[in-house]
Amino acid sequence: MPETPENRVERIVSGLLRGRRLKLRGGDAEARDAIIMAARLAAARQGPQRMNPGFRQRLADELEAAPRQGWLTRRAALVAGVGALAGAIGGGLAVRGLQAERPSTAGRVIKPTNGQWMDVGALADFPPGGARLVKAGSVGAFVYRSGDQVSAVSSMCSDLPCELWWDGSKSLLACPCHNRTFTPQGSSTGGQYPLPSLDIVEVRVTSEGRVEVLGV
Amino acid sequence: MTSEPHDSGDVVELPAASNAVDIALDELEMVYAFIYARVGNRADAEDLTQQVAMKAIPRLRQGAPASAIRGYLFATARSVLGGFWSTRLGLSESELHEDLVMAMPTGGYSQESADRAALILAALSDNYRRVLELRFLHGYSLKEVAAEMRSTVGAVKVMQLRALRAAAKVRLDA
Repeated sequence: MPETPENRVERIVSGLLRGRRLKLRGGDAEARDAIIMAARLAAARQGPQRMNPGFRQRLADELEAAPRQGWLTRRAALVAGVGALAGAIGGGLAVRGLQAERPSTAGRVIKPTNGQWMDVGALADFPPGGARLVKAGSVGAFVYRSGDQVSAVSSMCSDLPCELWWDGSKSLLACPCHNRTFTPQGSSTGGQYPLPSLDIVEVRVTSEGRVEVLGV
Repeated sequence: MTSEPHDSGDVVELPAASNAVDIALDELEMVYAFIYARVGNRADAEDLTQQVAMKAIPRLRQGAPASAIRGYLFATARSVLGGFWSTRLGLSESELHEDLVMAMPTGGYSQESADRAALILAALSDNYRRVLELRFLHGYSLKEVAAEMRSTVGAVKVMQLRALRAAAKVRLDA
């Protein structure tokens, strides 16, 4: 027997008031307005929250470890960029062109579990100096062509969950949900503060001149 | 060595990892409060704050203005929260807009969440306000609310749902 909306919401309210995490089921979307409000009211009851000391320490430990991977010096980032480029070339004629030029703001590289190279068209179908939206299974990407080289970034805005569009007049990727734009390499432009860069999508050109994206 | 991160326009130098971590943790305290006020529980708030930290921190640039660091973290927090709700509830962009496009805190630990809740409750009819006050602010069980309101558990459950939906429709002027 399907759960009634009032029982559904009561289950969630009851969990929240006991300090439990939000355990939502498929049909809960039906009562989403009530659920979001319940979460807010449950939070209001507790007042402004600070991190638990144990969690803060865990976070500190993880952040301390982060510099070795991400808080890079320019030199380290350039070395990493060169390494990534060399690896990409090993897998085809591929290329992620400007990564090394923007090491500290580069998005993470999407490496899907069980990913596979998917054909998204002939290189000739991609206009030089332009970006084209492609789908490699579940991975949406804008493939940007510069000469005979291609690069690709995720088609999703890094701020709001909206699919970007290519504004050819400005050569920028634009988010329809708010007035923010990204370069074809994924760096945010304009605005009062930088947004996280778009995630990098692996792309290559085969010896037959076909463009392939690592999708899933 | 390190500029005060809360002064807009200052440059935060990140000469050593530990300094950078201290600055980030102070900012992440506010991110945590911001997220907690929207998910209402510690476990989810910790998970999401951790995601924000891991996603945003490695990308912070050396020499970035302090105001940009906060902006960057909150932009990431909005993105992470958006993913949280859209994944679990299939929220549309317009519905997310209401919850996510909001001013980021300017400092300290604001009463924003409690103040907003009070304003929302004040806009409801007496019965709806009462059931939500008893349940959420006083922590009454359904049975206790039913006794207090001289009603049945079943009726209170339905009223709670309707009251939450009515509360969700209240629009507060910024």
